[in-house]
Amino acid sequence: MINYHPTDKQLQQFAEGNISPALALVVSAHCDVCSQCQEKVDDINIELSSVIENVRAHDFKDPAFEKMLASIMHLPVIDTKPVVAPRIELDGRFFDVPRPLQRFVKNTGNWSHLLGKVWQAPVDLGDAGEANFIYMEKGGRVPEHTHKGTELTLVVDGEFSDGLADYDSGDFIIMDNEHIHSPHSNAVEGCLVFSIVDKPLHFTSGIARLLNPFSHLFFK
Amino acid sequence: MLVGISLENKLQNTGKPKDCADEMSQALLEVASQRCKRSYAKIFGYFAPRLRSYALKQMGNEALAMEMVQDTMANVWQKAHLFNAEKGSPSTWIFTIARNIRFDMLRKLKNRKEDICSDDLWPVLCEQTPDQNEVSLEEQVTLEQVGLLFNSLPDKQRAVIEAIYIDGKSQQEVADELAIPLGTVKSRTRLALQRLKDMLEDHD
Repeated sequence: MINYHPTDKQLQQFAEGNISPALALVVSAHCDVCSQCQEKVDDINIELSSVIENVRAHDFKDPAFEKMLASIMHLPVIDTKPVVAPRIELDGRFFDVPRPLQRFVKNTGNWSHLLGKVWQAPVDLGDAGEANFIYMEKGGRVPEHTHKGTELTLVVDGEFSDGLADYDSGDFIIMDNEHIHSPHSNAVEGCLVFSIVDKPLHFTSGIARLLNPFSHLFFK
Repeated sequence: MLVGISLENKLQNTGKPKDCADEMSQALLEVASQRCKRSYAKIFGYFAPRLRSYALKQMGNEALAMEMVQDTMANVWQKAHLFNAEKGSPSTWIFTIARNIRFDMLRKLKNRKEDICSDDLWPVLCEQTPDQNEVSLEEQVTLEQVGLLFNSLPDKQRAVIEAIYIDGKSQQEVADELAIPLGTVKSRTRLALQRLKDMLEDHD
């Protein structure tokens, strides 16, 4: 069950289109699997669109409109076909991903072993930066860390805990330098998450601090 | 010139919103099923001047505003079959198309070559044709390469690193298990990390 959602303010900014592309992507992916938030966004869209009804219309006699209308009606219909949804594969297991993430499946690199029972596959988001699919096998754990920037996570499939809370498929998690956590999964099926960090993680537990010189390689 | 199509703008200030929504829904259906130019002209006459005012406020630039109207209304003509009256009113549908167009225009203005585009975020015109622009993955230091570096560590150092970082054991636990002094575990860890760092720098 989904327990962690974007704030109402984040949903509002998302519907307005006034939000960073990376945050918009994770919010959008969450809404794709969370009917509760999707309904909120639908309601905000209706509210926002009333601006079109209430705005004082520009003078229609502007000749530019007639030209525009004629040129548009020369355009062909665009036939759209449903696309077979691409899925993420790991060791013969296939994972469905929310629709907004599907376009990025082809931008996803190979899985590599991160630490222990944790695997990672980088996702190229173009100039919006890089994301990662991270898979924790049962018993897999990322050492305790905080964040120099912001860490956005969407649980794609499975369950994990991080010492702060327990998360399930569809949960939306945003962490920054005020949060210290150590994600680990005890689920039999493990846990696949989609994660975007804008700055390297900072490992906080005694030993893992030694990882900090390398954290830009591991998690950013 | 348009043949037999008069530009209609009579709806602009008349009719209740519900009646207007029904009329526009009907017009969209006729565009979708028959490419009815008269119906499209009606939709255009109602929405284009409104979008123009809205876009000018949003973009603050006459040319950009007209580009946004053009792109939005072109989508309405070309993808009218994707409008679903059960999911919402024509004005909400057209507004969300305009929002997507604005998002992509701002993205392009920032001169971003490949980025998250509105189709990913708000699938208002869903069932999009697949993107043909395959993007090649840039060359980067992968963790697999880091893994190879780990493998090239001397066995004793690697055993310590794996126990600590892979199995998550404490240095004391490793010392107990391997029956070696804690100081040795610490020095092996330090040497291994230094070695990894050197190898990474050589790698670059």
